[in-house]
Amino acid sequence: MMEHVNFLISILPELWKGLLVSLELSAGALLLGLIIGLPVSLARTYGKGIIKAIAVAYIELIRGTPMVVQLVIIYFGLPDIGIVLDRIPAAIIALGINSSAYQAEYFRGAILSIDSGQMMAAEAIGMSKRQAVLNIILPQALRLVLPPWSNELVYMIKYTSVAFLIAVPELMARGKMIISWTFKPLEVLFWVGVIYVIVLSLVAKIVDTIEAKISIPGFQMSRESF
Amino acid sequence: MAKQILRIENLRKKYGDTEVLKGVSLTVEEGEVVVIIGPSGTGKSTLLRCINHLTTADSGDIYLENQKIERGKTDLNKVRQQIGMVFQDFNLFNHLTAIQNVSIGLVKVKKMDKKKAMEKAYKELARVGLEDKINHYPAELSGGQKQRVAIARALAMDPKIMLFDEPTSALDPELIGEVLAVMKDLAMAGMTMIVVSHELGFARDAADRIVFLENGVVSEIGTPEKIFYNPEKQRTKEFISKITQLHTSGNNQESAGL
Amino acid sequence: MGINEHTWKVISAIPYLLKGVGMTLKITFLALIFGAFFGLLLALARVYGGSISRRFAIVYSRIIRSLPLLVILFMLYYLASEILDLSPFLAVVLALAVHTSAYQSEIFRGSIQSISKGQMEAALALGMSKFQCVLYIILPQALRRALPYWSNEAAIVLKDSALAYVLGIAELMRRGEYVVARSSQSALLTYLIIGIIYFILTSVLTRSLLYAEKKLRIPC
Ligand SMILES: Nc1ncnc2c1ncn2[C@@H]1O[C@H](COP(=O)(O)OP(=O)(O)OP(=O)(O)O)[C@@H](O)[C@H]1O
Ligand SMILES: [Mg+2]
Repeated sequence: MMEHVNFLISILPELWKGLLVSLELSAGALLLGLIIGLPVSLARTYGKGIIKAIAVAYIELIRGTPMVVQLVIIYFGLPDIGIVLDRIPAAIIALGINSSAYQAEYFRGAILSIDSGQMMAAEAIGMSKRQAVLNIILPQALRLVLPPWSNELVYMIKYTSVAFLIAVPELMARGKMIISWTFKPLEVLFWVGVIYVIVLSLVAKIVDTIEAKISIPGFQMSRESF
Repeated sequence: MAKQILRIENLRKKYGDTEVLKGVSLTVEEGEVVVIIGPSGTGKSTLLRCINHLTTADSGDIYLENQKIERGKTDLNKVRQQIGMVFQDFNLFNHLTAIQNVSIGLVKVKKMDKKKAMEKAYKELARVGLEDKINHYPAELSGGQKQRVAIARALAMDPKIMLFDEPTSALDPELIGEVLAVMKDLAMAGMTMIVVSHELGFARDAADRIVFLENGVVSEIGTPEKIFYNPEKQRTKEFISKITQLHTSGNNQESAGL
Repeated sequence: MGINEHTWKVISAIPYLLKGVGMTLKITFLALIFGAFFGLLLALARVYGGSISRRFAIVYSRIIRSLPLLVILFMLYYLASEILDLSPFLAVVLALAVHTSAYQSEIFRGSIQSISKGQMEAALALGMSKFQCVLYIILPQALRRALPYWSNEAAIVLKDSALAYVLGIAELMRRGEYVVARSSQSALLTYLIIGIIYFILTSVLTRSLLYAEKKLRIPC
């Protein structure tokens, strides 16, 4: 028993550093995903012609390919045309682009679920379509999008582990490193798993609290978005 | 004296701290039509659901043709085959067409040959006037048609008694008539029925006895003449006149709206 | 001119890459089947089970859904090589199946619970046993309702199967790595081609499931 505890204590500092990198990657990717995803969702929802087509193609291509492939294209592929990225920026960009397509779809779902009467009423008081989207539709949609968006947050934290494939020293990669020194794969992986479970439960708790705080009566969307 | 089909003795049911049924007794004879009326929340649905054990009563006994139904001993699925039930909100199986809805009990429960089951299902649907709708899915039927399919589904099992829980209260007024007509035919044909309904016209024409259920007990019971025109209790009189008023004012509003 | 030579090398490797598609599909298919089976059992345990099986299903789903696929994959891989005697192929299939079963259990649970209580009652009132109710009345409706979410999950499993390459299984992604390793300046093109192949696969998969959905649709 003591032996296991001592082992855990000996590897914990390393895993902790890895966890911080994982969280850093997730935060960066989510933010990048938001910055790209929101305009793309507006382009797909309200855009016309070529703009809409580009948005649709972007979303479908990203969602139709594995994240690892996107990651290796960016990290191993781009140098072929002279774009060389460090591991961490490459990971954040790949994860962020991936997330942006999913976030765009969440936003679109939320926008479409807002009653068409809202737009009509906004236009009836003389708003332009642009104003109506910015002042009436988006503020409502952003609230509605929180539950699926928090799912994306959980997904992202889990999926940052693929960054280990390009040797970013995040949680999973540190676990693998420790395994190669200690030759105790199952024990190390067990503790890595425990850390993921704890962190994700904490994140879910925090998100729930935030959701409860900003909820408006009669304005909920189900959390279990499968 | 006619044969007893159903006997309920001193039935009690509590939900949490509130006692919904406080000792209900009732006997129904073969071919008899009993209409149950009473204010909302007095346990009419609970009573019907206890009869076929969709809900378990806390105490009291139920006899079907003098056979006591005992949970654990009696095969409830057998009992339920003999008791038809029609629900307020139809509960048709949404993934099955009308004729499949009617035949599934025959095939899966009674193990009837599929072809025979279809023939019987067709006959039952014809009986409720839906021979042209047999291949429609529930979503493609009006409320009145749905309820008639539900009646056919229950009838197909050749039940000894039919229970109706407010079969017309989810229907638009213009659709109520077609369902009541089917139920009247059924009553005329000698089916034993317990009907929870506030359609007083139906009660007057078809009921042998009316039960006024209030606060979880049978407050008054008697022939339609007695309950409508000569009730023993003031409460019964008040309730009947309240319902009559509701109905007539509802109808007036409608004609005013037109 | 140099670029052309590299390009040509990659293009001539396409048949070699395509051979990995079979393996990718095999992994995906097996994982989906096992995952659907476990997922459905878990969902049934969750909705109709006693308190122990229900609690197990909840905890299983919670924990598995918090673990990255890679963690599950390596756990099973080491378990497979140290204790059980499984091939890396089976370890991959099992890891994907375990991972997706948790998500599928949520899908099936949601769809079972979305079928109104009246359906069960009406079936009981006809004299069906609870087992018959579930089999003939609840599941036919619930599984149809689950299909759109399920096909989404199927696409996820297909894409996740790319991670099998870390265990050295010669599926699409792994073969891509070989091609890249053999010639310089070929990574971008190779991985783009791999991406396109995956895109075609997921499109075909989701299209065919969409078709199945339409075929099975009930008016509602
Ligand atoms: N499953 C349940 N759990 C808790 N309470 C219940 C349940 N079913 C019914 N009740 C309560 O029991 C009482 C009687 O309900 P019941 O449905 O039998 O009334 P009812 O006479 O059929 O009324 P209505 O005319 O509105 O249909 C109500 O107060 C109801 O809230
Ligand atoms: Mg009721």
